[in-house]
Amino acid sequence: MDTLASLLHTSPALAWMVVKIVIVFSAVMLLASVWTWVERRGSAMIQDRIGPNRAALFGRIRIIGLAQLLADGIKFFFKEDLEPTDVNRGLFWLAPFLAFVPAMLGFAVIPFGRDFVSGGTIYHLSVLDPGNGMGMLYPMAIGGLAVYGVLVAAWSSNNKWSILGGMRASAAMVSYEIGMSLAVVSIFMTTGGYDPAEIISAQGSLPWHWNVVPQFLGFIVFFTCMFAETNRLPFDFAEGESEIVAGFNTEYGSMKFSLLALAEYAHLMTASALVVTLFFGGWQVPFVAHPSVGLSILSFVVKLLFFAWVFVWIRWTLPRFRYDQMMRLGWKAMLPMSMVNLVVHAWLMSHGR
Amino acid sequence: MFLAFALITLLGALGMLLQKNIIVAGLCMVASFFGVAGLFVLLANPVAAALQIIVYTGAILVLVLFVIMMLNSHEEEPAETSRPIQRWVSVILSLALAVGAVKLVLASKGLQQLAEKGAAVPPAVTLQGVGAVLFADHLLGFEVAGLMLLAAMVGAVALTKRNL
Amino acid sequence: MGVVVKKVELSWLDRTYVWPVLKGMGITFKHFIKQLFTPTSKRYTIQYPDMKKVMPAGYRGLHELKRFEDGAIKCVACFMCAEACPARCISIEAEEFSDLNITQGFEEKRPQVFKIDMLRCIYCGMCEEACPKDAIWLRNDYEVAAYDRLSMQFGKWDLMNTYAEADGKARITEDPMPSAPRRVLAM
Repeated sequence: MDTLASLLHTSPALAWMVVKIVIVFSAVMLLASVWTWVERRGSAMIQDRIGPNRAALFGRIRIIGLAQLLADGIKFFFKEDLEPTDVNRGLFWLAPFLAFVPAMLGFAVIPFGRDFVSGGTIYHLSVLDPGNGMGMLYPMAIGGLAVYGVLVAAWSSNNKWSILGGMRASAAMVSYEIGMSLAVVSIFMTTGGYDPAEIISAQGSLPWHWNVVPQFLGFIVFFTCMFAETNRLPFDFAEGESEIVAGFNTEYGSMKFSLLALAEYAHLMTASALVVTLFFGGWQVPFVAHPSVGLSILSFVVKLLFFAWVFVWIRWTLPRFRYDQMMRLGWKAMLPMSMVNLVVHAWLMSHGR
Repeated sequence: MFLAFALITLLGALGMLLQKNIIVAGLCMVASFFGVAGLFVLLANPVAAALQIIVYTGAILVLVLFVIMMLNSHEEEPAETSRPIQRWVSVILSLALAVGAVKLVLASKGLQQLAEKGAAVPPAVTLQGVGAVLFADHLLGFEVAGLMLLAAMVGAVALTKRNL
Repeated sequence: MGVVVKKVELSWLDRTYVWPVLKGMGITFKHFIKQLFTPTSKRYTIQYPDMKKVMPAGYRGLHELKRFEDGAIKCVACFMCAEACPARCISIEAEEFSDLNITQGFEEKRPQVFKIDMLRCIYCGMCEEACPKDAIWLRNDYEVAAYDRLSMQFGKWDLMNTYAEADGKARITEDPMPSAPRRVLAM
């Protein structure tokens, strides 16, 4: 790191920061685009189909269809950038970025590996160092902004189906945020801190000490709310071919559409990183008290990919909810459940457990 | 950094005032809130910044935009017959408010301390600190605010659902 | 009388919604694993250009004009198929051939031109039904496509050779028997 810093004429801290940002965001973006393929292939396998397996590099190297990403990317890149006449131009262009940027930013506080000491300085493996005072409030704040991407895309399209989809989705996202926040609050409470690093170190390396065991109710609430937050089935109300043409992205095409679609997968990655950090011990390796840095990163990535896969898995298992069913679930089941979770844990804590 | 955030705040606010399109005005307000959140971070109060974004941009403004979109009034309403006296009263009132605010800031203890001792970065406010202050020093105010919100919620439900 | 809707009483475990979701996930995962470890040849999907569907017996695909051992066409140009064809895609021109007319005193007929417009053909199999000599068959080849309309006009030799490779027969482009010169009837 020091040599790199001296090469770039900057301080090691700054160089480390840049390296972290580049690695984390490119990894998330790569994973998000890979996950578009995983989703298609996984859904195909679940439904006894085969899925996209034919795209090949140079027409020859067919790596189980992974070249589909490139093909899709190239296709989206070279498609005509259509813009309907009556859209609100500025917002129409802004919306994909409003959707994509928060999805990526949410990843910034998540520690993806153990700290390590090199040359007397501690290097933290998260873009924002722990102790920044924002802690887990940051991804929640950023997650709240994700609504704007959908809402602005829907409104600027000047299309009634889009706006219906956008409004359904934003109402759902806002109402599920409450249950999610309360579930997170009970974790703050039992941990005694709200920094992700603290939450992870408090969970320890034994799987039955991870938050998912004592706070199973909280986990269910949080995970369900994450489906609503990321706008994925069974709660994908931003879209719906059968009722509102395509949803908030009806008028979008080419690269703008692909940004909107990628935003969903980036969100999925951030959401599963949050689940892993809050409930599954983050980078903790099961039964290894002091893992090496590489092992801890590997553990985090494996957990992350598993939960990202669960998102896909659930999507192809459950049928969609109806809108009123979903709202009822959000307000009459998720919110009371997270409140019960909160109160029970407050009671347990007050009795010294 | 301060300049950047202050500019974002001011330009956002200005854009909100000057925009004719009500949705764009709302989005300008989001930008302005972001600037304020940045200023909070610079003031070593990341909790307030996060809460600002969660509460204001993440919830309240979304609801405002939601309602605007639901009503979906694209064309601006024609202005009523303008009464010049309204304008003058509003100008005078806002000037008075601005002068009062500046005076308050200039007379505050913090500024005097700053002048005497020079700038020092205070320890960052944490969520624990906020909680302790809220439930120890300002318990009464907190409870009253909670009660008022509950009353408002009950009132809203009673107003909208007449046949419960 | 309406339909009596049976109301299903859910057990408390099912009413939690979590357990049924897990059960459903188990089912989908079973399918996933099963599909993952099924070899390509045993999957339901037929990956078309690489694999081809084996058509069942009785499938009506591309036509074949049958021939005798010596390569002579079985068709006697009776026009039954052309009459039966609902799409009117068969056009036949007959000719006379054989050396029997001198010794036996009768003529034999065969098509000089036998054309099927594959773009109009609806593969109904009526020609096959109508044929008294079993000379036209619809077999199992479903890949009938071309880049232009003209090559979709299948002539006599195209139709006679459609399954030559599949049956291990030689391609023929000539009748074994020359056609008889047309007799001019002196009135």
